[in-house]
Amino acid sequence: MSAPGAAASLTVFCGKGGVGKTSISLALGLRHAMQKRPTVVVTSHPLPELAASVSLAGLRERYPEAADNLFVIHIDPREVLSNTVKKTIPSSLLIKAVLTSSVYQSLVEVAPGLKEIAFLNRLHRLTEEPSEAGKKFDRVVWDAPATGHFLQTLLVSRSFEQYLSGPFALLGAQIASFSSDSARFAVVPITTLEEMAVEETIELWRQLGGDLAIEPKAVLCNMTSPLARSTQPVEELRGQLEAEGDDAAIQFILDRNAIERSLFTKLRHAVPGALRLIERKASWTADLDLLLDIAKQMEDFPDAWTQ
Amino acid sequence: MKIRIFVGTGGVGKTSVAAASGLKSAIEGSRCLVLTIDPATRLKTALGMGTAGDRQKVPIEAFSAKGELWAAQLDVKERLDHLVRRHAPADKLPIILQHPIYQAIGTLVGMQELMAIERIGEALGEGYDEVIVDTAPARHALEFLDKPEYFTQLVGSPLVRLVGRTYKWWQKSSLARLGRIGVELYGQIENLVGANLLRDVLEFFSAFQGVAEGYAKESAETLERIHDSRTTSFTIITSPFKASRDAGYFWEELRKREFFVEGLVVNRVWPELAVSARPGATSEAEALVTWYRNVSAAHRQAWERVAAEYSPKIPRLLALRELATDIDGLPALHQMAQAMGQG
Repeated sequence: MSAPGAAASLTVFCGKGGVGKTSISLALGLRHAMQKRPTVVVTSHPLPELAASVSLAGLRERYPEAADNLFVIHIDPREVLSNTVKKTIPSSLLIKAVLTSSVYQSLVEVAPGLKEIAFLNRLHRLTEEPSEAGKKFDRVVWDAPATGHFLQTLLVSRSFEQYLSGPFALLGAQIASFSSDSARFAVVPITTLEEMAVEETIELWRQLGGDLAIEPKAVLCNMTSPLARSTQPVEELRGQLEAEGDDAAIQFILDRNAIERSLFTKLRHAVPGALRLIERKASWTADLDLLLDIAKQMEDFPDAWTQ
Repeated sequence: MKIRIFVGTGGVGKTSVAAASGLKSAIEGSRCLVLTIDPATRLKTALGMGTAGDRQKVPIEAFSAKGELWAAQLDVKERLDHLVRRHAPADKLPIILQHPIYQAIGTLVGMQELMAIERIGEALGEGYDEVIVDTAPARHALEFLDKPEYFTQLVGSPLVRLVGRTYKWWQKSSLARLGRIGVELYGQIENLVGANLLRDVLEFFSAFQGVAEGYAKESAETLERIHDSRTTSFTIITSPFKASRDAGYFWEELRKREFFVEGLVVNRVWPELAVSARPGATSEAEALVTWYRNVSAAHRQAWERVAAEYSPKIPRLLALRELATDIDGLPALHQMAQAMGQG
């Protein structure tokens, strides 16, 4: 058992689908693990899906110590719920009757908010208690679902607190209080410098601050080009480029570059927190190289954002 | 009457591709509805429309369209009320609408997937030639198809039907009628969820059961039409760097459920950029050019790989080019719709 003050803190990466939450979560996990901090990355993707999206293959061969300190887990709410049933019901006969009944199985799938509250509860506990394997984590990183589902997940705790009674309302209240504690629940939205993603990020910042009373730490702009921050005028750039065919290719580069810059400025004006850029590696062969590259770019980030 | 369902992970431009497909069909003469079940999406912004109302007609006269384009976005609370009013007996209606459990489920995550199929079902009766569904990137992308089946299973189970029908009666008489195991189990569940909440849920369900059964029946009919490959096809939308894994994942999941996968669209593929820095250019310009060339080459490689792998499996494969400007408004969608025609 850990002392009450020793709870691990949590970094939550959220944002629109496709902005790179999973890669950045794993990269931060890598950064911590390389500094010998036991770290767990919690993903909302089922593991086969995650494994298909980005892989840590090669880590053990190249950085055995980091591999020892890095854990990636998928919290399956069904499993959390069946463990609760097992703990609550004393008779093994009854447990079996409940868990194998089609009523229980379909109820778990359809009861609104049930899986989400089970997930949040498990996440909360991960920051406080040693895991089943007896490992105490220093750092917990949550690779959160895309914006809509992420906000709905957090709102479940508030809805349970407000509308329900008994143990579920209490659970809702506990989780609501945990997620509003900015010292332990660091929310970092991620965006790309694209119109839809930037708009969604500005809106997300507003919604977090509203009903949920959560103030994000910073916004990460992911997958930027090398010149997102450049002040060199676009027209000056044009004179330095030449195309083999027509100039459409040059125009494409300049247009995209101009979009990036203007969205970066827009974001800076709309969001009161810090903004940081993570440049897209142009190409990579092993996923691990991409993750190490991102981890390196996060090295100088203030600890308070990434706990 | 055709149903086309667009699936994909977040951020690949599903909504834009769905809207552009709808526009293309409408120009060619269909009466077409684009229905998005993603609460986060900005379909109406993309189509240059206001936010009011359940469905709206999109003004597409400028493209000399022969048909009509309609757009709708799923409103969970509104659909739920609609469902209740359709199926609840008159005496149960006020009980349901004012019940705290009803207030709670209207706000909770998970209802979106259940209501999506209800909305699709309604769209099937609204006289369109084509209904295009833009799905939400859920935890499991096909949850909006799986969840109604679980619900139907739950509502149809003998125990739930018994409890729903007789709850009022055994609440008044005696729990003993449930038998010894039943009483013990009820006690344990009471411990688990709390006595008040359990009573609320059961009381609510006994009023709601008719609605639940009505929903189950309708959604089973809609799902049957979605399973019919003569009526319904699926299109997987992805982006270059996600193409290989998205295609693999959705192809497997859809095939497992025996759905017809008609198309694979790799969206936002960068054009070939044969650009270099002039002699004497700044190192900034040098870095920029190299970066763009590398990214665009990687895009095209990703497309070629996925096209080679899936052309024997999926009838329509299409790469859509990244537009220099962001997709916003009808003119950009029209540009995309035209690109689809050439594909």
